[in-house]
Parts: sequence; structure tokens; C-alpha cells
Amino acid sequence: MRGPRCRRRVTVGLPTVDPVPTGTSTQERAQTREDAAVADPWVTIVWNDPVNLMTYVTYVFETYFGHPHAKAEKLMRQVHEEGRAAVSSGSLEQMEVDVQAMHGFGLWATLQRSGQ
Amino acid sequence: MHAFKERRGSYVAKVGRGEREVLAALVADVAQLLGGVRLDELDAADVTALVEAGEGAPRLRAAPVEAPDDPAVRRLLPDASRDDPEVSAEFRRLTEDDLRARKLARLALLWSALSDPEGGDVLSVPVDRGPELAATLTDVRLVVAERLGVATDDDAERLYAEAELPGADAGRHYLVSVYAALTWLQESLVTLMLARHRRGGAGD
Repeated sequence: MRGPRCRRRVTVGLPTVDPVPTGTSTQERAQTREDAAVADPWVTIVWNDPVNLMTYVTYVFETYFGHPHAKAEKLMRQVHEEGRAAVSSGSLEQMEVDVQAMHGFGLWATLQRSGQ
Repeated sequence: MHAFKERRGSYVAKVGRGEREVLAALVADVAQLLGGVRLDELDAADVTALVEAGEGAPRLRAAPVEAPDDPAVRRLLPDASRDDPEVSAEFRRLTEDDLRARKLARLALLWSALSDPEGGDVLSVPVDRGPELAATLTDVRLVVAERLGVATDDDAERLYAEAELPGADAGRHYLVSVYAALTWLQESLVTLMLARHRRGGAGD
């Protein structure tokens, strides 16, 4: 009962914990974080998981964030290949809304400070 | 079980009576995990009330909400931060009741569609309910995958291979087959939804 598209899904498994490349050292990031803690925008991260389908993740990025196909697919590929992608940024409150929406869709999302 | 097709404003899939019963029981199990109620023990009015509760006003809690112990439930209601317990706790306090109610409502909706005695061998939902159905299929697959111990890419690959072979453990093989079928069904639905969205159609 498996269709040919069945294998097209997001399947990198448990995400890695290496940070989004920022070009700064851990120490510098920690310092920056303290300096700019109040003003720092937050980001929503979508993590790869072995269950969600690539088509579905693309659908969520296109319909919820309103991304054009190309951008939605690029972000989906990033989640798939790199284990995660930053999909939106803004205030903590805005990111809570986005993370809640992602959890509503069944995607695995977290929020964190930008550059962390 | 056949793939979803779009027909006269609805997404329609041929799902045989036996398959409907299997899926309805699974949906009821997931709903019980999330809400502690057995959908198959409620009357129609109570199921409708659950569906409507998911669309109601936001609920806010003053007190903290404990993270769920069951890893399958935790996958449906995950932590919002990987490294900041305070952020996770605050997020849970603000959102968990709502998310739980919405997920429960969608499960109740799918359960009703699968259990409809008039439904014949067809699962049909209006296109504007497509996103809810796709999200619920995700939730059910997440729970089944957790129960089957699928944590990695390789685990998932092995699962699809396993579905094609007779298994030594009949109970596991059954769940693996259901998981593969749900994956396939969801893929067919989402492919239609994405095509419809890209055409600029309503119902997204």
C-alpha cells in the first residue's frame, strides 16, 4: 500500500546540536547575548524528524509563512539536509505564535535567541 | 485503500470498512492519550462538543503546566526551547491547553468521518478541512512512530522495508502496516492540497 512518493519525506533523524553558523566564537556569542539580551530578536527553528513528509513541510512553509514555492522548498531542504532551519524571526511573543502554529501542524519547532 | 482525489469540493479517498475501523480505533487511542476520553464511548453530541471546543476562545492558565510524561504525547506537545526551561514552561502555560484542545478536536472530526455509518467505503472531507486532516494524520503518525521506536532516518527506512515483509511479531507488523498506509494516504492528500494552493484555490 505504499505509493512511489512514500519515500519523499524529511528523514535526517535526530537533529544535531551544532549552532547556526554565526562566524563568532562561543565566548563572543555569550558576550553578545548578554550585551544585546533585551534587543535581540528571536528565531523560530524547525527541526528535522523522521516522520514528517517533505511535501507536508513545504506545504506548511508555503501556506503559513506565505513563502513562494522556491523559498519554501529551499527551507524544507535545509531542514532535511542540515537537520534544522530558522524559519522566522522577531520578538519573543511573535515567535511563540509561530512555534505554537508549527506544533499545531505537527512540526518540531523551538524558539531561541537569534545568533545563538 | 486508495489515494485521495479532489472531487466536488472535497478530498475523497476510498477506504474499506475494515480499514476505516482500524483507523478509527487508532484515532480514538491517540485522542485518549491527549484528552483522556474514549471517542467511541461518547455520544454524537459530545463528539461535536469536542470539535467545537477546539475552535473556541483561547484558554490561559495562571499556574505552570507540567510537561507530559508519555514521550508520544510530548512529541505532539513538544518543549518550545531546547535549552531554556523557563521559556518552555511559559510557552506551555500559554499554549498547551489550546493546542491540546485543537488536536483533540481534529481527531474527533476524523473519528466521526471514519465512524459515519453512512460513509460507505469512502473517507471524505471538505477541502477547507484538508489542512486539519493532514495535521491530524501527522499527529497519529507521530504517535505510532514513537511507539514503534522510530527516532532516526534509518529507523524510518527500515520501517517501510519491514511493512513489506511478514513480521515475527504480529502486533508490531500490524502497526507498521498501518503506519505505512497512513504515510501513503497523507502524502496523497498533501500533494492535492499543495497543488490546490499553488493554483490559488480556496481551502488552504
